[in-house]
Amino acid sequence: MNLFDTTDLSLQAAIRGSSLRQTALAQNVANANTPGYQRKDVDFESSLRAAMADGTNPDSVQFDVTTDPSSPMQPDGNSVDIDVESSKLAENGLTYESLVSVAKGRIEILQSAIGAGS
Amino acid sequence: MGMFDALDISGSALSAERLRMDVTSENLANAQTTRGANGQPYRRKEVVLQEMGGNSSFGATLAGVMGGAGSGETPGGVQVAGIVEDQSQGQLVYDPSHPDANAQGYVRMPNVESVTEMTDLITESRSYEANVTAMQTAKSMYTKTLDLLR
Repeated sequence: MNLFDTTDLSLQAAIRGSSLRQTALAQNVANANTPGYQRKDVDFESSLRAAMADGTNPDSVQFDVTTDPSSPMQPDGNSVDIDVESSKLAENGLTYESLVSVAKGRIEILQSAIGAGS
Repeated sequence: MGMFDALDISGSALSAERLRMDVTSENLANAQTTRGANGQPYRRKEVVLQEMGGNSSFGATLAGVMGGAGSGETPGGVQVAGIVEDQSQGQLVYDPSHPDANAQGYVRMPNVESVTEMTDLITESRSYEANVTAMQTAKSMYTKTLDLLR
């Protein structure tokens, strides 16, 4: 039996994905005034969902930064809407923090089980 | 992918936006300068921004070798590609007593429009604030992660 089960590994993978998404969203805000820049995003939820559906080890899931072609473009070829990016940044930050809180809870359970928490 | 990538990206944007503000201030300061560095009327300057890939950093290379990062591109922030001069002509103002007036009494003024510069300044300061917010979000995320060790 493994110390860390699928839930722990999935949480770990989701934290990794959320962290990569933060870099993509920060990149969008940083390039809000760069002509021709197209916004980027990381759809880690879909990758993770697909991995869980076909039983792949969540630890081996790779997340990719993809360019989002669907976003409406401004006259200078830039597709960043600063309001959209700000709300996505806030949302991703909260997702990340809730994932870490759950992971922390599970680690505390393990710690008390092995008697290292007291 | 390095641990503090999001902070580096926002940091690169902060310095780029600050440079844009410096250049806009220079344009405003020289709105009436009829003798630039080359003796000609001052020409307004503009900053050209460029997206930066993040594949050159040590962390990115290490992650690539260890297979930690996906195959897609890594965000690396924004960089200044250069500062270019606006080549449009400034307007001619009739002022015969001006030392730089031509034979007909007209002075060539700089091509700086203070309204354009002021709106640019607002855009730049708002972009700067947006990047500071992105940086604060990243910082609170990393702080939360460090809580795991306590």
